[in-house]
Amino acid sequence: MEKKISVGIADMKITRQEGVLITYALGSCIGISFYDPMIKLGALLHIMLPERGRASDANVYKFADSGIQETLRKLCAFGAVKKRMVCKIAGGAKMFEMKGGGGLGNIGERNAQNVKRILMAEGLRVASEDTGANYARTMLLDVATGKVYVRSAGRPERTL
Amino acid sequence: MAIKTYEEMNALELDILKEIGSIGGGNAATALSSMLNAKVNMALPEVQILGFNEAMSHLGDPEELVAAIFVEMSGELGGIMLFILTKEFSDEVLHRMLGKSSPEFLAMEEIDSSVLSEIGNIVISSYITAMSSLIGIQVELSVPQFGVNMLGGIMSVPIAMMGQHSDRIMMTTGEFKIDGKALNSNMLLLPDVESLSVLMKKLGVE
Repeated sequence: MEKKISVGIADMKITRQEGVLITYALGSCIGISFYDPMIKLGALLHIMLPERGRASDANVYKFADSGIQETLRKLCAFGAVKKRMVCKIAGGAKMFEMKGGGGLGNIGERNAQNVKRILMAEGLRVASEDTGANYARTMLLDVATGKVYVRSAGRPERTL
Repeated sequence: MAIKTYEEMNALELDILKEIGSIGGGNAATALSSMLNAKVNMALPEVQILGFNEAMSHLGDPEELVAAIFVEMSGELGGIMLFILTKEFSDEVLHRMLGKSSPEFLAMEEIDSSVLSEIGNIVISSYITAMSSLIGIQVELSVPQFGVNMLGGIMSVPIAMMGQHSDRIMMTTGEFKIDGKALNSNMLLLPDVESLSVLMKKLGVE
């Protein structure tokens, strides 16, 4: 039986060799998969906001900046090498049309931009992505193969 | 003392919020009742302070497709009001309003979504009107937004909004019954932390 590991909101899980990491119904949040194919080590991170405003906020996986840093730190401790790492992202949708573009209305878009900016600054490349639009996505990372799947209601499953 | 986190709310204050929810919900049920021409009542609301993932699992399967009407509140009470309709609830409403059999959520016509959206709008406005006149506060509502999406995706909006300042969200939930049938629906009132002190002061609790 295939091992399924569920990743919650503001959460991150790591697994090696086999198993499927899954995070459900990403709306404006972003799912970020990290995979080192050489050692079959994978992580899935589910962030909900672009930046950690206060350093005292202990929930590091809530934010794109602190979440990515902490995930990379853990992956490297498990033997991952940044140069080999493949990252894919999904989510960042706009669930409702909200007035006032500066606020929460485009939080999904801001999340996506910030995630890409931070990954690039870390020297990581986004191999593929499925972001934006107005529908929720469930994201899966199969650690045995490194394949990433995105499913959403009323659309065929996508392989990223 | 000003309330800075949801956890600081005591049992009395939570009871008061439950009472407010019950008055708002009662008024919303009456409005729904006259539109559907049916007996509608609302189950006693619950007030909960939950972590993001707990809140999610409390509401149901995150991948379930639901319809939702979303309104932002501002003024003396800030936060979000969300009316979530499951397929069975929306089927019942569309059947009663338009006499039609149940379309799939993703294959809904313009008329179906405008009916659901209007129902949501009226239900939310009646809830807020009853609540604000009871407490004596001014609440402004944004233009209501309608969407069909996975439950988890819809909840990501209030979670992201409250999550900027808190690792928990507070929600008052309430479910409608139409002609005695409990059809899955949920009326969520999600106040932001800053509003709680204002609310309690107005009500004379402090």
